Amino acid sequence: MTVQTERPPSGPVDVVKPGGPDSGGPGPRAAARLGAFAPYLLLLPACAATVLLLGWPLLKDVLLSFQNLNMAQLIQHVTEWNGVDNYKEVLTGEDFWRVTLRSILFTAANVVLIMVLGTLVGLLLARLGRRMRVTLMIGLVLAWAMPVVAATTVYQWLFAQRFGVVNWVLDKLGWHSMADYSWTSSQMSTFFVVTVLIVWMSIPFVAINLYAATTTIPGELYEAAALDGAGAWRSFTTVTLPFLRPFLYATTFLEIIWVFKAFVQVFTINGGGPDRLTEILPVYAYIEGVGNQHYGMGAAIAVLTILILLALTAYYLRIVLKQEEDEL
Amino acid sequence: MKRSLFGRLWPNVTAVVLFIGCVFPVYWMFATAFKPTGDIISEDPVWFPTDVTLEHFRTATDADHFWTFVTNSLTVTVLAVVFSLIIALAGSFALARMRFKGRRGFVVGFMVAQMAPWEVMIIAMYMIVRDASMLNSLVPLTAFYMMMILPFTILTLRGFVAAVPRELEEAAMVDGCTRVQAFRRVILPLLAPGLMSTSMFGFITAWNELPLVLVLNKDIEAQTLPLWLTSFQSVFGNDWGATMAASSLFAIPILILFVFLQRRAVSGLTAGAVKG
Amino acid sequence: MKRKLISAIGVAAMMVSIAACGGDKGDEGKAGADGYAGQTLTVWVMDGSSPDQWQKDVAAAFEKKTKAKVKFEIQQWNGIQQKLTTALSEENPPDVFEIGNTQTPAYAKTGGLADLADLKSEIGGEWTESLNNSSVFEGKQYAVPWYFANRVVMYNKKVWADAGIKDTPKTRDEFYDALKTIGEKTDAEPIYLPGQNWYHFVGLVVGEGGELVKKEGDKYVSNLDDPKVAAAMETYKKFQALSKAPKDKDEATPQQGEVFAKGNVGAIIAMGWESGIAIEANPKIEEQIGYFTIPGATADKPEGVFLGGSNLAVAAGSQKQELAKEFLKIALSDEHEGQLAKLNGVIPNKESLQTNLKGNVVAEAAAPAAAGGGTTPLIPEWAAVENAPNPIKTYMTAVLNGKTPAEAAQQVEDEFNKRLSQES
Repeated sequence: MTVQTERPPSGPVDVVKPGGPDSGGPGPRAAARLGAFAPYLLLLPACAATVLLLGWPLLKDVLLSFQNLNMAQLIQHVTEWNGVDNYKEVLTGEDFWRVTLRSILFTAANVVLIMVLGTLVGLLLARLGRRMRVTLMIGLVLAWAMPVVAATTVYQWLFAQRFGVVNWVLDKLGWHSMADYSWTSSQMSTFFVVTVLIVWMSIPFVAINLYAATTTIPGELYEAAALDGAGAWRSFTTVTLPFLRPFLYATTFLEIIWVFKAFVQVFTINGGGPDRLTEILPVYAYIEGVGNQHYGMGAAIAVLTILILLALTAYYLRIVLKQEEDEL
Repeated sequence: MKRSLFGRLWPNVTAVVLFIGCVFPVYWMFATAFKPTGDIISEDPVWFPTDVTLEHFRTATDADHFWTFVTNSLTVTVLAVVFSLIIALAGSFALARMRFKGRRGFVVGFMVAQMAPWEVMIIAMYMIVRDASMLNSLVPLTAFYMMMILPFTILTLRGFVAAVPRELEEAAMVDGCTRVQAFRRVILPLLAPGLMSTSMFGFITAWNELPLVLVLNKDIEAQTLPLWLTSFQSVFGNDWGATMAASSLFAIPILILFVFLQRRAVSGLTAGAVKG
Repeated sequence: MKRKLISAIGVAAMMVSIAACGGDKGDEGKAGADGYAGQTLTVWVMDGSSPDQWQKDVAAAFEKKTKAKVKFEIQQWNGIQQKLTTALSEENPPDVFEIGNTQTPAYAKTGGLADLADLKSEIGGEWTESLNNSSVFEGKQYAVPWYFANRVVMYNKKVWADAGIKDTPKTRDEFYDALKTIGEKTDAEPIYLPGQNWYHFVGLVVGEGGELVKKEGDKYVSNLDDPKVAAAMETYKKFQALSKAPKDKDEATPQQGEVFAKGNVGAIIAMGWESGIAIEANPKIEEQIGYFTIPGATADKPEGVFLGGSNLAVAAGSQKQELAKEFLKIALSDEHEGQLAKLNGVIPNKESLQTNLKGNVVAEAAAPAAAGGGTTPLIPEWAAVENAPNPIKTYMTAVLNGKTPAEAAQQVEDEFNKRLSQES
């Protein structure tokens, strides 16, 4: 698995032959015209699938968000439009804004941890001897490959109040009040467990990809930096970091999406509890919509969730738009 | 002297600590699964299962319809991955190699599609499938899983396609290949690592999916392994032995796939990750 | 508008049943020349609610009478409302399903349940009225009462003997003193009582004569700040203080039966079937298990208990209304209702069938309290309250963690009222 990134400014650049690919085929004019349609034809299946399987549910969701849709309406297939009532109720309530703020902080904290630790581990991989590197890689791959449903279950067991191994270790280390500590009893401790789980699952992706990326940095760049009298830190900031920048952007973008949507982890560990204090937006939408069976309300929260995620990633999307312009 | 010894030592020590941190939860899952119940619920953890038992695995696989779940999960996952690879390959080739109007729009469009928070749209999806009378079927499930992994597959494959030197393709065409032949004979083989690593991601996503199948398929004949896995927590309360055995069985295919594909995938990473 | 639709559906359902009464044969879902041969009735029952033997016998009797087959599908309580709601909206809903007594009014209101008035007049003459209450909504019979149960004290005879206690307690104070003695004289945990065994708490409220909600205008609102509720919570807290169990978990995480199975727990407040969990986890525990009625404030009146139970209902959208009723007639017949009471030690829907409980130690411990038992408010709005995170549970944990009952009531009031005011 890899990260798709935008072209690094100092990285190797494909040689673009004059004339471009579309004039490559020596066919007659008809073929050339067909060639003009070719990209659209190639993209057609993907676009059709997206419209049908993503666009349609999205549209349906938007429509539902303007309806009063509860148990009775769902069971009897009744459509009751109620205008913007759902949005009004969500946006004027305190809960939504509190959950939104919490979601953003939660995402930020996790992404920062993942990126910083992941980068450090990636750089460490580059420094290690072969045998040690392979060993650590295997460890990383195992953590990475754990299916999230299984991983979440395992973490519940590790942090179980009674007979959980984490509490036992803390107790033996001298922190006796942790002997029968309930990790799900408070907001912060629940977030702690969720964060450890998410960071554990996500670091391998960043670390392994980053390591792979560092191997492609041309050695001459470091030599040149050394000639300029740069120390380890300086050559890191002047050579390594700029080279990896596009990669880091792309990875951060992916991690933001993944952490923001970390529904299974948060929901399974403590169901958004205690006292609804660890609900992040997707969990909130699910509990209000499906859990409390206010499907219209849930749909409205879902729409708002999507808008917020778009806003969070707008910066990166703009970079992509700009870069794509320069390409080809 | 002392300093350089320290300098040589700390990366290795850190690596060992990290290795333990990474592996321990996985190890603990397997270890718990093999321990007799008395050793699981014990005041002092039993670090190494000395008294190995297969009892928990028996509990897990004796569940009704276990093999139906396995078949369904494999069917849905493999089909979703294959379809998304085929569709994505065509799309990513266009995005990586061709110049046309609206290309940027497509790229950004797929990036946005990748953000879709599927869990919150479940009811909309449910109502669509219900009103199309397609509940309790693997078809909508496969289609939606395919869609969940499609954007990522397209965008990642685009990086891999772009990394294949254009000269190779051109050389093949000079040799008399058509563009399609050039693609099949030259680019496709070079894309193998890319295809593998993207399919790993797709496989994991589809293999793990729970909320959608939970609401779409109430008929046990059309259910998948994640439902089976979560059922252990409710049926047995916290029967950690059986839960961990089930988790182990659930994780094994993915772990094997990863370890098996990892080397080839990483060799492709360089190209995919950086040259994108 | 909704009202109209519901009544329209009610009328439609009635017409179906009237047509069937006329002996109309050969129709879809009705008896043909060959009975109902070739048809299969889908029945949802909750995990653990009916033994295999009962299902087998009922299926056999059903097949013999109707020539149709019945397929039992076992459901988990966790998430059942969401599953049931969507299922009832589908083309092929389960024909018959078990539904919790406290959840029945909400579903009756949605129009998803078929009217069973004719069944009530045909076989329901002797049903205990208090048990049938939850099935009736706005004067109509939307379900039929199936079985009921209440909690008892399940105790470890060995631990009690080790502590030198000979008799089981008759009053709440004696109970508390006994547990204290266990704590002092043995290594055992006197009682395992997690902070969110909210059904037990509801029982205590019933015992105090309190109510969880009150009516304000035409709306129900929280009544948790009532002194009677507070008194019940104080009792709960007093006993919970003797336990090392988590204050923020219910009795199912971990299953208290499994904790009990380890042999160093004096007592749990449990349903009779939870002994099965303990015995499965540790077969040796079986001979140590004893039961007694939860003692009340005075010796003449046992503690209030939550009278949990299940009704059976028919989906309004089912294509097999007639067959479903045939099934209910067999499942609730004296023979099979009695059998269920006997096998599971649950309270049957008729008093005459209670003879089946003779010799069942759990049922004999449970029965004295049943008369003074009660339920959560039987209003459609209640179902929303039980959805996670249940504000009653939040309230309990808050008190156990040091808040006064009044503060805790204040804390959850908004959430509680919000749920009570939700349109179903």
